Amino acid sequence: MTTHFPIAAFDGVTDLFRTAGESMPVLHSFLVILAIVLPLTSALSLAVSGKLSDTAVKICAGIGFVAPGLISLWLAAVYMASDLGGQYAFTYLADMGLGKFGIYLYLGLNGIALPFYVLAGLVGLAAGLYAIQSKVERLRLFLILLLVMQGGLMGVFSSIDILFFYFFHEFALISTFVLIALWGRTGRKTVALEVTIYLTLGAMVTLAGLIALYVTTGAMDFGFNMITIRELMVHAPLQKTIFGLLLIGFGILVSLFPFHTWAPRAYATAPAPAAMLHAGVLKKFGLYGLIQIAYPILDLGIGHWAPLIMWLALCNLLIIGLVTIAQRDLKTMLGNASVMHMGYAFLGLYAYSSLGIGAAIMMLFAHGLSVSLLFLLADVIEKRTGNLDMREIGGIGSKTPVLMGLFCAAMLASIGLPGFANFWGEVGIFVSIFGSPSPWVLYPALLGIVISAIYGLRAVACIFFGEEKGELAGGDITSSEKLPAILLLVALFVVGLWPRSISDPVNESVENTFANKAPAISAQVAEFKMTE
Amino acid sequence: MDLGTVLSIILLAPLVSAGLIWLFARQRAVLAMALSLAAAGIILCFSLYILLGGWNGEPYEVTAEWLRLGGLSLSIGFLLNNLSALMLFVVSFVGFWIHLFSVGYMNDDSARGRFFGGLSIFMFSMLGIVLADNLFMLFIFWELVGFSSYMLIGHYLNDEAAQASKKAFITNRVGDFGFLVGIIMVYWTFGTVSLTELDHILEHDKSAVTAIMGLLLFCGVVGKSAQMPLHVWLPDAMAGPTPISALIHAATMVAAGVYFLGRTFLLFTPDALVIISWVGVVTAACAAIWAFGQRDIKKILAYSTLSQLGYMVAGFGMGSLYGLHAHGDSHSALLYGVGASMFHLTTHAFFKALLFLGSGSVIHACHHEQDIFKMGGLYKKMPLTTIAFAAGVLAIAGIPFLSAFFSKDAILYVAMKENYGAFIILSITAILTATYMGRLFFIAFLGKPNSESAEHAHESPWTIVVPLLVLAVFSLLGGYLWMYPKPLQPIIEGWVPHAHGADHTTMIVISLVASVGGLAFAFFFYGRGSATDRLEKIAPPVYGIAKSKFFFDEAYGYYIRKVQDRFAELMAFFDTLLISGILVRGAAGVAGLFGIIARRLHTGSVASYVWWFFAGLILFGAFAGGFLDGLLR
Repeated sequence: MTTHFPIAAFDGVTDLFRTAGESMPVLHSFLVILAIVLPLTSALSLAVSGKLSDTAVKICAGIGFVAPGLISLWLAAVYMASDLGGQYAFTYLADMGLGKFGIYLYLGLNGIALPFYVLAGLVGLAAGLYAIQSKVERLRLFLILLLVMQGGLMGVFSSIDILFFYFFHEFALISTFVLIALWGRTGRKTVALEVTIYLTLGAMVTLAGLIALYVTTGAMDFGFNMITIRELMVHAPLQKTIFGLLLIGFGILVSLFPFHTWAPRAYATAPAPAAMLHAGVLKKFGLYGLIQIAYPILDLGIGHWAPLIMWLALCNLLIIGLVTIAQRDLKTMLGNASVMHMGYAFLGLYAYSSLGIGAAIMMLFAHGLSVSLLFLLADVIEKRTGNLDMREIGGIGSKTPVLMGLFCAAMLASIGLPGFANFWGEVGIFVSIFGSPSPWVLYPALLGIVISAIYGLRAVACIFFGEEKGELAGGDITSSEKLPAILLLVALFVVGLWPRSISDPVNESVENTFANKAPAISAQVAEFKMTE
Repeated sequence: MDLGTVLSIILLAPLVSAGLIWLFARQRAVLAMALSLAAAGIILCFSLYILLGGWNGEPYEVTAEWLRLGGLSLSIGFLLNNLSALMLFVVSFVGFWIHLFSVGYMNDDSARGRFFGGLSIFMFSMLGIVLADNLFMLFIFWELVGFSSYMLIGHYLNDEAAQASKKAFITNRVGDFGFLVGIIMVYWTFGTVSLTELDHILEHDKSAVTAIMGLLLFCGVVGKSAQMPLHVWLPDAMAGPTPISALIHAATMVAAGVYFLGRTFLLFTPDALVIISWVGVVTAACAAIWAFGQRDIKKILAYSTLSQLGYMVAGFGMGSLYGLHAHGDSHSALLYGVGASMFHLTTHAFFKALLFLGSGSVIHACHHEQDIFKMGGLYKKMPLTTIAFAAGVLAIAGIPFLSAFFSKDAILYVAMKENYGAFIILSITAILTATYMGRLFFIAFLGKPNSESAEHAHESPWTIVVPLLVLAVFSLLGGYLWMYPKPLQPIIEGWVPHAHGADHTTMIVISLVASVGGLAFAFFFYGRGSATDRLEKIAPPVYGIAKSKFFFDEAYGYYIRKVQDRFAELMAFFDTLLISGILVRGAAGVAGLFGIIARRLHTGSVASYVWWFFAGLILFGAFAGGFLDGLLR
């Protein structure tokens, strides 16, 4: 199947991107590196230079945020225009002195990585634009840490090499801890400590799993990366252990139930740009890792752990869904809601079909955009009302119509209204569950759409409708706050109206990756099912 | 012009209008009105072009892939057949006049940009439902009408609007829960969700259809068309502006459920149809009773809408059963249900839109007074509105040879043939309908004014009156074949079941007795322009029963406050205490404890280290010797 823009008028544009990609392959590989290096360079130059004017600091940081955003969009356009069939493109390989261990700096993008890469670029851009104009103390250090985070994020999702994939993640994660500890809300020290210990633990378990994988597959001789590892074999008993380690390790990082308690508190405490980057992008590391590393090679392990994944995912959806309903603090509620939505993604993985996995990827992409938009708007609301307790905010809608419109749109997007990107992922996951070995799971899973409507609309009604409570500092959302919000909203809209922009590369890559895993059933509906 | 292009223009015109309003006309009320009205005009013109010659009446389908993931392919497409053409006519025709009405009615509103943008979004979503050629696309627009309804109910941003809009959306989501399961079940059973392909499969072999599948799909209808027990949102939705109540909560959106039933009628087994019929019958009867307990003109009309929707659903169920029983398991016999319900949907769209717009005209004139006992004597002040409203009342009461007489009779007729109990309940409901509509009309329009605002009422401007008069004509004559464009006539001519011979006479007698009797009773019992409710005065318990609405709202309120919220809080407590507190913090505590113990053991005294060394040695020996196997196993 080929990828095409659906409208003929775009053919010229498609050709332009394809020609650019084909005629300058080296340049495009360098763009991938540039997207990582530029934010880090910005951070470094801010760190080492002496006294700088505010404007200079902002411009320097701005470059570090804008460049990866633009690069990610450009690469996505080129990728979609060239018929790559979901294969890796823009690859770059460099020996960093670890070649004899099979470890290289190996970068590139395939259809699975692409949505996450674009997500990192877009959310990074939005968070950066929002951070630049935020009036925090020690703005320069704040921006430096965010830039480091951004560099790490671009690296995570463009790494083919598994060690570097892990390494970039740590880069971004450590900045998050510092951001929470220094610029968080009340109780930041405790929360930062808890998050640090918890997530480091998750990362250690993941590392243990990855090392086990490295050792058992003999990747030292072939290269420890996402491409070659798919050709390698892991023996059955070890598969269970390794998959278990990866599931729990990655699970902690994605806030899989019952390893989720760090998430709502961390997001409620973190400064908005950090929450946007972490909840929106960095958290997806865990599920991305499962899809790119664990799922393609550990199919026996999946069979063993699938029932547990299903139950935990349902707990994520239902228990955390109810917990979300009970929240009164807006940011805590959003944090819980984001934990809840991870349940959908795990259910997509549980269904273990190209539909389920593809839909989970789409859902993660959309969720990243919508949750970061919500955290941004929640922060604006906090600035205006000086409060995040939804019982004490009220009736600000008539004073702030634009803020209300944006918040409503973001909330409706996150509860899966058609027209926004989130809908496609959710509906795909629901369809895939019914094709899984236990279709009954669809019933409890669909309760999620009612639960999310309840907390989402309650929040909107509390904050914007009814009688005004308390004073409003400043008026409607300003245009500099609006810019990043609109950016995210437009992305949600574009994918909502034109889902193939994301789904085609995802689908091709997923089918490539899992096609040879497919037993005979696949011929029927071009899908593979769980082998019993 | 290519039919696909015309349909695309019809669908996209309101979307473009909404987009333009959002971008440029949020603060420019007049521009927003113009854009929205222009979109409605374009829709009406192109619909009429299709109906008056642009289309040959053959089913027309065009489709394009929208998303492909694994084996799932979602497409977007149009399916134009007689049924969707009828619905297209209703939506575009009624929609246009309500747009015009809104221009007059909303002239002093401060957020007209938002209102007219929302109206356009609604038209877009509703037309999507009408034209959708597959179930997933239908579901998408189904959700979108829910969203536009949410947005427009909440228009006034006050507490009432906040509660009502939230309630409407969430109640609909409850229905959509079953709806989506049903659609997914259809997808995995038949491998397709395309309506045409489903038709082809089901014409030859209906063995794969199960009752549960139909009932799950019906859940969506229960939510959207406000059937019991999910009817609670519709009366509250009256918190929105009156044109919205007319367009969304009377004429089109709430009827979408009935339209959906007609679009997928082959997916319902006889068992499912029996349950569907009874849901409709019970809704029709209960809502008619509740209407007597209301004083708010819009609330009375809302309960009347519930009741009429119940008629439609019952008509679908029993009409289909009648078709099955009378003519065997043939494809066309099943159309009786579709015909009966869709015919009533059409006439109802005319007269209920008229009644709501009439009430809007009254509310507008009385400075937002909505209590009928504070009106009275309006016929002198607002003659045109009164005439139009009277036409609506006569129509809904079912006076012979007016529109609803024909459509309601078709439903009563199939009920008589199919289930005598249901027939009696529906006949009594018909009497009740005439009575509560008479109560509304005689109290609000006749007699003397009962309040300042009613005394100062005056006839509304032409933008309000013209739509009233147009709809009045259709309410009176909407039962006749020649009122409809040619492609729609087969439905009314062939699909609607007609009574013959003795049955025909019986039906006329029943209608006559129910309508005239009900109106006359209301006239003499409630009196003209009275300021108090006579039923409340002479029989408080009876009035109380009607007013109680059988405690559905209280029950749901209790459930939400005492069960759902309590349970949610319990879960939050469990989450904080058990998982976060004991497991996570506890784990940290245990690690700390080990640290303390380990520190204690490092006493620094050589003697104690020697003791520990020996203890370890013994333990190791025991382990190596296999003495500990029993313990460790």
